[in-house]
Amino acid sequence: APTAADYAQKSGRRVVVIGGGWGGTTAAKYVRLADPSIEVVLLEPNKQFVSCPFSNLVLSGVRTIDSITFGYDRLRAHGVRVLHDTATAIEPDAKRVRVGNDSLPYDRLIVSPGVEFQWEQVEGLAAAQDRVLHAWKAGPQTVELARQLQAMPDGGVFVLTIPPAVYRCPPGPYERTCQVAWYLKNNKPKSKLIVLDANPNIISKTALFRAAWASYPNIEYRGSNKVVKVDPGTREVTTELGDKVKYDVLNLIPPQRAGTIAVSADLVGADKRWCEVNHLTYESVKHKNIHVIGDSTIGLPVPKSGNIANAMGKISALAVVSLLSDKPVPPMAPGNTCYSWVSDREAIAVVNAYKIEGGKVVQIEQKLTPGQSEMWAQNAVGWATSIWQDMLG
Amino acid sequence: AGPLDGPGAPTAVICSACHGFAGQSQSNTMPILAGMASWYFKKAIQDFAAGKRTSPEMEPYAKQVVQFGLDDVAAYFAAQKRTVTPVTSDPAAIERGRAAAAQCTLCHGASGKGDPAKGVPDLTGQPPGYLKSQMLLFKADKRSPGDAQLKVVKALMATIPDEQLADLAAYWSSVR
Ligand SMILES: Cc1cc2nc3c(=O)[nH]c(=O)nc-3n(C[C@H](O)[C@H](O)[C@H](O)COP(=O)(O)OP(=O)(O)OC[C@H]3O[C@@H](n4cnc5c(N)ncnc54)[C@H](O)[C@@H]3O)c2cc1C
Ligand code: HEC
Ligand code: HEC
Repeated sequence: APTAADYAQKSGRRVVVIGGGWGGTTAAKYVRLADPSIEVVLLEPNKQFVSCPFSNLVLSGVRTIDSITFGYDRLRAHGVRVLHDTATAIEPDAKRVRVGNDSLPYDRLIVSPGVEFQWEQVEGLAAAQDRVLHAWKAGPQTVELARQLQAMPDGGVFVLTIPPAVYRCPPGPYERTCQVAWYLKNNKPKSKLIVLDANPNIISKTALFRAAWASYPNIEYRGSNKVVKVDPGTREVTTELGDKVKYDVLNLIPPQRAGTIAVSADLVGADKRWCEVNHLTYESVKHKNIHVIGDSTIGLPVPKSGNIANAMGKISALAVVSLLSDKPVPPMAPGNTCYSWVSDREAIAVVNAYKIEGGKVVQIEQKLTPGQSEMWAQNAVGWATSIWQDMLG
Repeated sequence: AGPLDGPGAPTAVICSACHGFAGQSQSNTMPILAGMASWYFKKAIQDFAAGKRTSPEMEPYAKQVVQFGLDDVAAYFAAQKRTVTPVTSDPAAIERGRAAAAQCTLCHGASGKGDPAKGVPDLTGQPPGYLKSQMLLFKADKRSPGDAQLKVVKALMATIPDEQLADLAAYWSSVR
């Protein structure tokens, strides 16, 4: 298998992409589609891509992890050089990415490292990272959380904790609430699900989730209950108000920031959390020739979603190709659809369309499904089929 | 035209999240846009944008298309070579659908390719799931509710049992 050392020299124009998730795969593929004379090197440590969208269905057993796991081979067929390695530093002046002792020169760099967890925000969490599950990056933790849920005795208490906004996928925790509640209702009718939300109320598709939860009396939702401490020994979390809540199974979603490489490369703003970018090119406002896309970004009126990361991947790819060819950057706006499964067969959705105004991304409209239905769940399957193929096919 | 060529491409690539790359939908639920006649594409987008043809997904996206240039995006999809849906149907359902298809050809033509003069679209090669769900929407008067121009087709759909709608979808999807 090729390594970073094989790419220490570049002959023609080269784009390096950091992160083979929703944003990075799309960007890498679309640069190649737009201009096959540009070399594209993609860095991603994981050998397989696991989709966060639809991963909540793995918890309820409605889907298998295999059905949301894909390889990178089709991307290679587009001529993308996929290296299963981690970028360790960025040298903006030398225009190089460090991979351990090797370095990869680039003409333009696209950074899509997703989110990292702020472990230090919850007392006791840093030391218990291996035992307290987030399952907020789909993969082994998703499988382990599903196993713990299945192994929990009937009558047991499942606690799900939600960090304060902003975090990856605003409706994600509430979809997870539905999936866990659906599973418990059908398999462990004496069990209950306690949701401790740092936010005062459901932050996305509020009325639709409330309506869906009417079928799940096993949900005990507590808004404005920020978790500040976890003790895996006594199996207890503590909220900011001092309430202690016991659990049999815990799913603690920690607060988040941009991926570590974005922080160490000084791409984040004064908040040390998220990266500000140009709305037309996704070029960092802090460093030239470096573009940041996906969950790591801030300042656009868009949610942190896979659909948005995919759109940003295309827009940044076409911008980078234009900039490398001294052509005008085409004005493009993202679009977003987030489907959420509220049971094994029904879904709801929120859709956002955007335009460009005064050089900024501006929302045209947000629309919600009028209720939940099997048709929207089928459309969700259609969306997933299309978008996975758009990224990796 | 290539999948990233033309003035409509920068807007159209956003649609591939659902409709597939260059409008070549691979799923059973999302319609294929590649090769769609531009008169019908424009009508559909205008109906969505006006909120006449209701769809939580398409109403916002249609407004985005109008914002960036409807003619360009319509020309983009019309110029893409259409490949038919990869979703296959049960041969027996296709045969039953073929036997019932005469009631459609009056408007959609013997070939099913539609007729711009009558405002009737091409049905062939679309995913069977999409065709069926649209027929169910007509039947329930949920696609462009109350549209006087669609009275006849809706009245017809109302006479057809759901199972036969599925057979008709299988048949028209299979026609090349
Ligand atoms: C439970 C759940 C459900 C969700 N459901 C939906 C949904 O239905 N619809 C939707 O649109 N979105 C959904 N999302 C959100 C979606 O998953 C994210 O918004 C999306 O993954 C963001 O894409 P990204 O490219 O920014 O980051 P990611 O997809 O996380 O990709 C980042 C990649 O970068 C790699 N990486 C990080 N650092 C480095 C480095 N230094 N060097 C090399 N590689 C590196 C990582 O290994 C990772 O593969 C959901 C999320 C969750 C958790
Ligand atoms: C989130 C999913 C999604 C996205 C993204 C999306 N669509 Fe659609 N589209 C749909 C669905 C679902 C339908 C069927 C709607 C209905 O029930 O009438 C549809 C229908 C259509 C139709 C009508 C097809 C026909 O045969 O009548 C057109 C045209 C269309 N879309 C164009 C677009 C364009 C152009 C874009 C991008 C700017 C786009 N769509 C983006 C989901 C989507
Ligand atoms: C009286 C004329 C007429 C008849 C008969 C008719 N149709 Fe249609 N059909 C139309 C028109 C007009 C439209 C376009 C509606 C619009 O513009 O929204 C249409 C649209 C459709 C669509 C939606 C296509 C798309 O891409 O969204 C389907 C599916 C369909 N017809 C199936 C059938 C079938 C199957 C039959 C026979 C059982 C049939 N139609 C008979 C006039 C007719």
